[in-house]
Amino acid sequence: MLKITPEELKVITRYIHEISGIHLDAGKKYLLETRLSSIAEELGCSNYMELYQKAKRDARRQIQQQIIDAISTNETLFFRDEGPFKLLQYKILPELIDARTPKSSFMKTPIRIWSAASSTGQELYSIAIVIRELVGNDISKFNFKLLGTDISDSAVAQASRGRYNKFEIERGLPRDKLNRYFTLRGGFWQVKDELRAMVHFRKLNLMLPFSGLGKFDIVFCRNVAIYFTMEDRKKLFNKIADILEPDGYLVIGSTESLTGICSRFKPKRHLRSIFYQLQ
Amino acid sequence: MKQMRILVADDDPVIRRLLEKRLSENGYDVTVVSDGMEAARLVDRKRFDVVITDLVMPGDIGGIELLQVVKDRDIATEVIVITAYSSIDTAVDAMKKGAVDYLEKPINFEELFLRLDKIAQVRALIRNAGDLREAMDVTEASAAQTIQQLEITAGDLQLRLDQLRRILGRDDRPPEARIAEALGLLGREQG
Repeated sequence: MLKITPEELKVITRYIHEISGIHLDAGKKYLLETRLSSIAEELGCSNYMELYQKAKRDARRQIQQQIIDAISTNETLFFRDEGPFKLLQYKILPELIDARTPKSSFMKTPIRIWSAASSTGQELYSIAIVIRELVGNDISKFNFKLLGTDISDSAVAQASRGRYNKFEIERGLPRDKLNRYFTLRGGFWQVKDELRAMVHFRKLNLMLPFSGLGKFDIVFCRNVAIYFTMEDRKKLFNKIADILEPDGYLVIGSTESLTGICSRFKPKRHLRSIFYQLQ
Repeated sequence: MKQMRILVADDDPVIRRLLEKRLSENGYDVTVVSDGMEAARLVDRKRFDVVITDLVMPGDIGGIELLQVVKDRDIATEVIVITAYSSIDTAVDAMKKGAVDYLEKPINFEELFLRLDKIAQVRALIRNAGDLREAMDVTEASAAQTIQQLEITAGDLQLRLDQLRRILGRDDRPPEARIAEALGLLGREQG
């Protein structure tokens, strides 16, 4: 495995921050080596400086993307931490459905949900399952729009494909839900069309402006800001405040807090979970 | 999941073509070579997820030797050996030296695909374990930071509360003056 020198470590971590916002400190030397050495060798680089230079020169940004794919960590559990999903099911969705149900039945107000770091899709599909479980066959009466974004091309591709191996799926997803929303196909579990049709995935770097995203009623931004610096976290949550509907909901990771990061949000409690709304 | 990259080394052109066709039809990225030397050269230049090699090939590098070259290069590359005789001994020897599995000729493709699936799953699991470890690490560090921040905030609030309590509790002053001073303190903080 190609070893990284202290100088290279500085250059590479700065580059990774620049292209992805991911902040890696010097303690991540081993992570960088294990994740980047194969890319470097594959490209015929004899050290990481060469890899950096090649990536910078690559106009099609393929090397940059390979580096992002290698460095970003993917969450692979459905219903990871049940708190937020209970919150969604018993508090947020019922409130939003009440607020958004129109007087006339001709116009369906959309309820827009965004999973800001959707990884390989498990979070957004879990949200879709909660919605199906909650509204049942009345789904056609509503207009749910679910968007998942991630910085990794390969994660977005995998999420769109909706295909999971048994290790990725069996933990967190009870058997009845598994059989209801997935089909076993060639050793893999494939998301059924009814769920797949509810969601949409695309690539997005959270460090860049959120142009063209529109407004959201619910934003899930769990366990992603933790990879950023304090400064970048502030910018991120400020931008999220901009695209959240005035009565919208923000859900962050259960070990995270916005105290000292963004004063535009007010924490609220329901049962044992916390969500945020605009002041 | 990423497309797996497979190198096939076999001196039998029929088997080579068959493996190339069936593997690429099934979505694998396949490279075929006809002897161990060429395979060893390629392995040195390029990374493969799996090497499928015949045990007996002409030249200095047979299946066992290639296996060693592959494992020296990258321990994570899996090797499946193909054996013409149903001689368990040679296959067992290969597995002792690090081959993940063996196949007997004629090749049963169902069996091969099943093994490749297993290899892909194990690789995905290893990557997932790495991701989880990293996520846990970052979460823990960040949670510690969050707790620190909250402690400081809670400390500040407690300080203000104590101040207010002191101001409001001063019996020697008229209530209006106490309230005015308390409101003044709150106002200063808000401003």
